Amino acid sequence: MATESADVGRLREETEGVTVAADELARIAGQVLSGTKAQAEELEGATSTANESAAALTETARQAAAVAGSMEELASSINEMAASIEQVNSNTVQFNVGLTETAAAIEETAASIQAVTSKTQEMATSAIEVRGAVVEVAASIKGVSEDTTSLATAVEESATAVEEMARSIQGVAKNADELTTAAENAASAINQMASSTEQMAATAEGLSTEVEGVATGIEQVARSAAVVAQSADKITDAANGAASSATQLDRSIHAVAGLAKQADETTRRVARDAEEGGAAVQKSIQGLGRVRDSMTQSASLIKEMGKRAGEIGGIVSTINMIAERTNLLSLNASIEAARAGEAGRGFAVVAEEIRNLANRAAQATADVASIVRGLQEAVQEVVAASNEGAKVAHESSQLAESGMAGLKKILGGLQDTSQVVGQIARASDEQLRAGQHVVEAIGTTAAQSRQVATASAEQTKAAQGIAQSTGQMRKIARQVAQAMGEQGRAARDIIKSGQTTRTLAQHVRNATGEQAAGASQITQALTSMRRGAANTAQAVAEQSKAADGVAQEADRMARLIGDVAKAMNEQSVASNQVAKALGDMRRQSGQVSQAIAEQNRATKDMTSAADHISKQMALITRANREHTIAAESILKSLSEIRGVTERNNQSMQESRRSIDGLRERTETLVAIAGRLGRVNPPPRPRRGGKQ
Amino acid sequence: MATSEPYILFELVGTPYAVPSSVVQRMEMIEHVTPVPNAPSYVDGLVFSRGRVVPAVNLRRRFGFSAAEYDAKTRLIVVTHEQRTVGLIVDSAREFMTIPVDAIQPPPEGLAGTSGNYLSGIARVADRVILILDVAEVLNHGGGQFPTGEDPKA
Repeated sequence: MATESADVGRLREETEGVTVAADELARIAGQVLSGTKAQAEELEGATSTANESAAALTETARQAAAVAGSMEELASSINEMAASIEQVNSNTVQFNVGLTETAAAIEETAASIQAVTSKTQEMATSAIEVRGAVVEVAASIKGVSEDTTSLATAVEESATAVEEMARSIQGVAKNADELTTAAENAASAINQMASSTEQMAATAEGLSTEVEGVATGIEQVARSAAVVAQSADKITDAANGAASSATQLDRSIHAVAGLAKQADETTRRVARDAEEGGAAVQKSIQGLGRVRDSMTQSASLIKEMGKRAGEIGGIVSTINMIAERTNLLSLNASIEAARAGEAGRGFAVVAEEIRNLANRAAQATADVASIVRGLQEAVQEVVAASNEGAKVAHESSQLAESGMAGLKKILGGLQDTSQVVGQIARASDEQLRAGQHVVEAIGTTAAQSRQVATASAEQTKAAQGIAQSTGQMRKIARQVAQAMGEQGRAARDIIKSGQTTRTLAQHVRNATGEQAAGASQITQALTSMRRGAANTAQAVAEQSKAADGVAQEADRMARLIGDVAKAMNEQSVASNQVAKALGDMRRQSGQVSQAIAEQNRATKDMTSAADHISKQMALITRANREHTIAAESILKSLSEIRGVTERNNQSMQESRRSIDGLRERTETLVAIAGRLGRVNPPPRPRRGGKQ
Repeated sequence: MATSEPYILFELVGTPYAVPSSVVQRMEMIEHVTPVPNAPSYVDGLVFSRGRVVPAVNLRRRFGFSAAEYDAKTRLIVVTHEQRTVGLIVDSAREFMTIPVDAIQPPPEGLAGTSGNYLSGIARVADRVILILDVAEVLNHGGGQFPTGEDPKA
């Protein structure tokens, strides 16, 4: 019987060793479970975040498409603008300098927008990766947590069974063959469990690698966020510069508008003066015509008078003839009277008187004749003078006519000039409005730049938070891998113990009495295992919470990225508006040669910048598509991780089955030992098993 | 002899002449002169005067002056001397004057060359110097043959 007690004692020792090993196993399983549960929850969070990122990507793609459409419209507007640039008259230097500066500022803004957008793309990529990996991790952890719960339940059951075994092991004493067989089965079961535990270790390694990848992605995101913050600052500076240029532009356009209005008023005034001059000339022409008519009338009247004078002359010569004949007659009468002597004296007197009368008549007619001659001479002079006057009036009228024609030409030219000046004034007004639009758009751009800067700073902070959480996750994964490794080692220990147990099974026959103690120790060990499983579940819960935190950070980051992308979009729209406003201004700028050349150049720059932006938008769209593909691949990775977790799950199940088998074998052992121990009650050493 | 005699005054080339009215038959205006071939140069032709044919002597030519156009003032003085009637064509004849004999002086011998012996005297009346014509000499001197007229009625 002493030999039997020694064998039983050794059996008990070995069983204790098994118990210790089982304790170790339970503790390691607990660690595994805590690690995997945390991973599962983190993966779940990461998966939902990845889905949200995918949705944000879709939104971004849609916005990029809208931007592309706007770019096309912008390109055609810029073409129209270039075609109509030639019509503006303005204050050349200030206007063109302001336009060039504004265009340069817009270029800078567009380039900054592009840089920020590309950084935003990178950030979005990294965020998606992170989110996806986190989701996978959460899912796998969830699976592990479930398995851990199952494991805890199994351990419970084992503990209960082992208690039963312990109770029954007191009265069991079986033959050593059954024990040996049982020991051999236990050894094989432990082998199985060891192999499955090694599998779990391998998969835990894979999980750790995945988590590493996620952490790397998060770090990239943090770097990208910092770069974006820098770019946002640059954009703000550029927008401020553009704002000041636009203000200068507005001032110069005001000056141009004022000058154009002055020119318009001056032209109108001159036109009015020309019209008044034309009316005066017309009046003078009419007056000259009237003068000519009256002169012609006078000439004809004078000619009439001359004719009358001629008639008078004729009558006077008749009278003169009569006077001569009367004189002759009187002379003859005097002669005859003289011949008659005394008798003819009276007759001679009469003849003398007749002669005197005739002489007086002749004198009178001579006077009349000289008057008539004078009258006729005067008439001649008057006719000549009126002819001269009519000629002069005719010449004056012709001069007035030619003067009138000249005035009409001047008036026509003035009307053309007035039209052009009016166009210039209207063009300047429109330029004014377009310039105001530019100022407003630039102000909007500046405000949005500041928003982007703020959002970028927040993004950086969020990325850093996520990086921290991911670091924690990484640590946890490493711990899990470690635990897996330790579990493997413990399994190998158990194998060794199993082998030793098998060897010693031969000697157990005599040691059943001590199996009761060993069984009770196993019971204790199982209780410890139960506790350990509960702790495992708790640790898994903590890991899951950590994964949640990471997922939240990833969520926030993705939201911030979305905000940045939206801000980028708005900035692009604002740039479009600015460019469009510039186009409006150019369309109305006119006839100043320098202004036209420089404006043409700026328009070309803008056209190429708009093309550039269009290309960038296309790149964004393509990148977005690639990102979507990447997100899909990340989701695939998550599913792979999920597969890993399932394999883990399977391994855990196999572990549980192994533990079940172990329990059964231990039951058998205990029964046999009990049977053996009924003869020799064994001592009861206690060992503080590792929990 | 009377103390004064009536004279007809006429002008020739601006110079006043006088001829005694006793030798003047009548005075007329020049109506129409019919030229006569082979007549002396101072004879312009024949004129009709109260139904009689009278030779017309251009006194301007007779005295060696150039002939002038007839005008309304031209007169034909029909004179008679010793049954010879001749018409004298003068520039004008408008006055009938009675000249006192003591106003007439005999012509100076120095004038014989120009007017020949045509002047029978020179009269001075009221500051005017009038040459008295000697009709007989005018009719006779020159020696030209011209047809004579009938005696005037007494």
